[in-house]
Amino acid sequence: MSHHYIRYTNVHYSYPSGQEALKGVDLLIKHGEKVALLGLNGAGKSTLLLLTNGLLLPTEGEVNVGDVPVSKKTAPMVRRAVGMVFQNPDDQLFMPTVWDDVAFGPRNMQLPPSEVERRVEVALRSVGAWDLRDRAPSDLSGGQKRAVAIATVLSMEPNILVMDEPSSNLDSRTREQLMAIVNDFHHTVVIATHDLEMALELCPRSVIMKDGRIIADGLTERLLRDQELLELAGLSLTPALAEYVEK
Amino acid sequence: MSGIDKAIVALRELDTGATRIAIDARIQLIVALGFVVVVLTVPLTNPGALVWMFAYPIIMSEASGVGYLRVLKQSLWVLPLIAAIGMFNPILDTRPVAVVMGITLTEGWVTFAAILLRGLLSVQALLVLTNTCGFREVCRALQRLGCPAVLVTQLMMLYRYIGVLLEEAQSMHRARLARGFGRKSYPLKMWSEFVGQLLLRSIKRAQRVHLAMLARGFNGNCFIEWARPSLHWRDLTFLLGWAAVIIALRFLPINAFLSNLISR
Ligand SMILES: Nc1ncnc2c1ncn2[C@@H]1O[C@H](COP(=O)(O)OP(=O)(O)OP(=O)(O)O)[C@@H](O)[C@H]1O
Ligand SMILES: [Mg+2]
Repeated sequence: MSHHYIRYTNVHYSYPSGQEALKGVDLLIKHGEKVALLGLNGAGKSTLLLLTNGLLLPTEGEVNVGDVPVSKKTAPMVRRAVGMVFQNPDDQLFMPTVWDDVAFGPRNMQLPPSEVERRVEVALRSVGAWDLRDRAPSDLSGGQKRAVAIATVLSMEPNILVMDEPSSNLDSRTREQLMAIVNDFHHTVVIATHDLEMALELCPRSVIMKDGRIIADGLTERLLRDQELLELAGLSLTPALAEYVEK
Repeated sequence: MSGIDKAIVALRELDTGATRIAIDARIQLIVALGFVVVVLTVPLTNPGALVWMFAYPIIMSEASGVGYLRVLKQSLWVLPLIAAIGMFNPILDTRPVAVVMGITLTEGWVTFAAILLRGLLSVQALLVLTNTCGFREVCRALQRLGCPAVLVTQLMMLYRYIGVLLEEAQSMHRARLARGFGRKSYPLKMWSEFVGQLLLRSIKRAQRVHLAMLARGFNGNCFIEWARPSLHWRDLTFLLGWAAVIIALRFLPINAFLSNLISR
């Protein structure tokens, strides 16, 4: 998987309950791009990300990561390349301590213990959670959980980083830290978010979704200036952001 | 604090609340299991001999700073379960063995007492172990002693999922309190809905946790392997010391010796 691009071709997905979450998504995300996925609650952002990791498979259409079509067979390989931060950190953290949780991925990759230790330390330090290493994840605050959840993915050193609402619940310092991590990450990043400010700062490109379809795709700066589009998508700028966009 | 909150705290304390001591968890595990085995060899007809075995949990919990009171309290939770196991003995076995202060003591009551003591001793020994090692360390020790990694992982997952279930119950309980406006009692129908919801939510949650595990390369047959640190002299001393004490408690006729002393 030398080229870390993601290609969605006419992707449909219906949940077993019958809910049609994606209704034909066509999208190409190139290597090294940082893309924000915007849209109202229920637009289908999380679903699209789960498909990227092979955790869900399209009911119709195809997802390609690099040259590999995502299928049941290729999913384990795809997951090594695509690191996913879940929307709810409570789902992501399941080991008895923070340290074990961050080590879970590298251990599954059968890395030697010294390498596992190194990666855990680097990952925890980069999100500022090294001091939490012996705590139980269930005892942490919402923001601390979020930071650790991000570390669990960073420790796997993925080529593509997929994040579902990573900035919710973070205080401003941890949020800055997160932005720095994403900025320093030199591969592909896809972030589903309601945090338009973060989208503008981190992601040159944005994709806006509505009702399981993509309704706009382009430069973040330009999309956020398009009043009509924002209204259609149900997005609204904070006063500070509106002022910034004006300029 | 509601019952759910208490249960969550108790569950976490199994691991994080442990007063850890400087003896290797493997050695502690061996001593505790050895103790349980020895307790089970005491004949049911001789509950008097079991009383002295309480020296182990009492000394261990007091010396480690856990406190016997805490272990005793925790162990009383399972008393009804143990009692249920031995319940039929007094009913079925009515052979008289002795008359104490005008009351005839039957064989059934004697064995019932022995079952209670055995159960309490075993549970207390394991509680002392989790209290001085932490749940996670006990799991690690199990694997270091050769227990298959798949079993150990299952044990840790079980621990985790009990936590998930309780956390879901807690958040539902809170949501209900927040909108209940002080209402205290609910009709039975609502309780059954509550339980049904709880199960559904736990299953959904478990599914999402499973997805998160898959996302990080879990393939169902790669388990946690821990290094095996070497043992120290103090570990060996601990092992041999307790082995001697436990064997002495079991085989020395302490009761006979005491009654001799008194009747002399
Ligand atoms: N497990 C599920 N079972 C059934 N339907 C689901 C499930 N998860 C999501 N859906 C439905 O699929 C649609 C898309 O949901 P998705 O979670 O992808 O939205 P989202 O854009 O991530 O929203 P949010 O901003 O709230 O996270 C919604 O209509 C939702 O109700
Ligand atoms: Mg979502």
